[in-house]
Amino acid sequence: MSAPLFRPAGPQTLLPPEVTAPKRARTRRAENWTHDLKITIPLGLLILIAGACFLWPLVYPVPKPTGGSILDAGLPPFSPGHLFGTDAVGNDIFSRILYGGRVSFEVGVSVTAIGLVIGGLFGVIAGYLGGITDAVISRVLDVLIAFPALVLALAIAEGLGPSELHVIWALSFFGIPAVGRVARAATLALREQTFMLAARLAGTPRWRVVLRHILPNIMPQLMTFSLLGIGVIIILEGALSYLGLGIPPPNPSWGSMIANGQQTLSSQPELVLIPSAFLFVTVLSLNLLGDALRERWGVR
Amino acid sequence: MQPPGEEAPASGEEAQPLLSARDVVQEFTVRDYGGAKGGVVHAVSGVSFDIWPGETLGIVGETGSGKSTLARCVLQAPPPKAGAVLFRGADLTRLRGRSLLRVRRHMQMVFQDPFGSLDPRWRVRDIVEEPLVAYRAGGRAARRRRADEVLELVGLDPGSHGGRRPRELSGGQAQRVAIARAVALEPSLIICDEAVSSLDVLIQAQVLNLFERLRTELGLSYLFIAHDLALVKQVSDRVAVMYLGKLCEVGPGESVYREPRHPYTRALLDAIPGTSGSGRAAAGRPPIKGEPPSPIDPPSGCRFRTRCPRAAERCAAEEPVLRELASGHAVACHFPLEPPATPDARPVRLGSTTTRSV
Repeated sequence: MSAPLFRPAGPQTLLPPEVTAPKRARTRRAENWTHDLKITIPLGLLILIAGACFLWPLVYPVPKPTGGSILDAGLPPFSPGHLFGTDAVGNDIFSRILYGGRVSFEVGVSVTAIGLVIGGLFGVIAGYLGGITDAVISRVLDVLIAFPALVLALAIAEGLGPSELHVIWALSFFGIPAVGRVARAATLALREQTFMLAARLAGTPRWRVVLRHILPNIMPQLMTFSLLGIGVIIILEGALSYLGLGIPPPNPSWGSMIANGQQTLSSQPELVLIPSAFLFVTVLSLNLLGDALRERWGVR
Repeated sequence: MQPPGEEAPASGEEAQPLLSARDVVQEFTVRDYGGAKGGVVHAVSGVSFDIWPGETLGIVGETGSGKSTLARCVLQAPPPKAGAVLFRGADLTRLRGRSLLRVRRHMQMVFQDPFGSLDPRWRVRDIVEEPLVAYRAGGRAARRRRADEVLELVGLDPGSHGGRRPRELSGGQAQRVAIARAVALEPSLIICDEAVSSLDVLIQAQVLNLFERLRTELGLSYLFIAHDLALVKQVSDRVAVMYLGKLCEVGPGESVYREPRHPYTRALLDAIPGTSGSGRAAAGRPPIKGEPPSPIDPPSGCRFRTRCPRAAERCAAEEPVLRELASGHAVACHFPLEPPATPDARPVRLGSTTTRSV
């Protein structure tokens, strides 16, 4: 072999790391999300509402949400012992808001979690493996999406009887394909990245590629989508309860409270307005938080 | 240095090439909207070459000539449609699963885009450790030590860089990380697919120096793919020129660049913007015209004939095969160029002096 084709280099020819690696002070600072009002405000509201629903009745006794005395019926807001007043059968509205909110959060979070796990799993598998697997999974998701979800939910609630668990199952038919499609699209985009090939050439088995490369990279996208999804599911639960197919009465949920309040809308509008306001603030906060996180994580 | 794992016993025989590609063919079916078959892209059509232990083989060619596809064929990602890829005598195209993994351990790849080839959510140390984890090379502590060791080998400080994520690195540093990952398992062959093309000239020179240093320190062979002729000449012992999925000329770097025998190689060398009168302007040769034909419908016979100034009827009818004209210098052309007469045989001066002035 002839002389070296170019000057042999010792390590001293390398630039010192300080010169080539600029400190990312600005990025570091911006990474501190607590300074971002677009995140802290909706997140704070959500923590406040959810915390009140789940913790308040444990810490500070409130009247039972059901079985109120008819003698207390129709009390206006700010009555002694009844912050938001009582409804037509004498149940404390504040208490019903708290217990009803539990239902909304439980349904919203469970349905989304089921969607994330099952839909996410199938979506990632379809996107990563492609071919026949992708075709089969995609068609099933398409069918589920094309099916009128509310009608399906009605059928399930009708057939199995109204209960919180059945509502969760019914709405999962809505959540799974939605998350599945997002996960598949995100995986498809990721599959073309060189580091996926690099990982395979490094000897990493497929299942590990899915766990360590795909999931962490699509998580931001799935999380922001899920936050928006929780809002949609809470509304849907409200709609089902409004139709009398959600949580069996007399147990409260925000949707059923709005439905019942409708009968006395002219005399006692607060029976509709109060649960509507909570539903509105919760869903709005979820959407704003989802948008803010999407912006922060740079998700398309 | 960590002891190499199970090793093929053939390392003693000098007569055997490290890697041999034989008539490698890769084709892709393109589909129109609606899934109708639109045609077949003949990306690589019957390419053969050898890489000897410790050697660097450079492959040059225009964008779309099939260089990257060829590199991936070698690594069976995806496997070629036809042909054989022999690594120390074992045909990779016949291997599947674990046995393929076991051979592929000795061949690693460095890609063009350093950031694209590193998972943005992983830390540098984990990236370098990934092949060690996949091949279960040593325990947790040993792997960590090895990762730090190769980071130092490529000129990065494990302490300050090991915990960073790729986007906190410069392009050159990111490519160093990719190289560290490639050498972590002590491979014998590294395939560089335009590995320095996206870097600044200054960084390019640093990374090339690193490649050269690793070659001597670790006894590596390289398959070095690039479109930059000057770059390929700089690093390669032998150079292969690729056009539209076929090799037109293979030979020792000096001889291919000083005495190109294939009209396409001549045209490529002429296309380098020269500072002195070494190039086409001096020789009074016109530049070749037009774009390369589509690999979906390549010309019959010689694939370069549609743009070749020397094309004749025979070129359309008969496909030229690589034949050796001088020692180790093979050309696939029916009418190869004569070697220049002795007084005219001055060295080709390559234009990108900037690359080499570092």
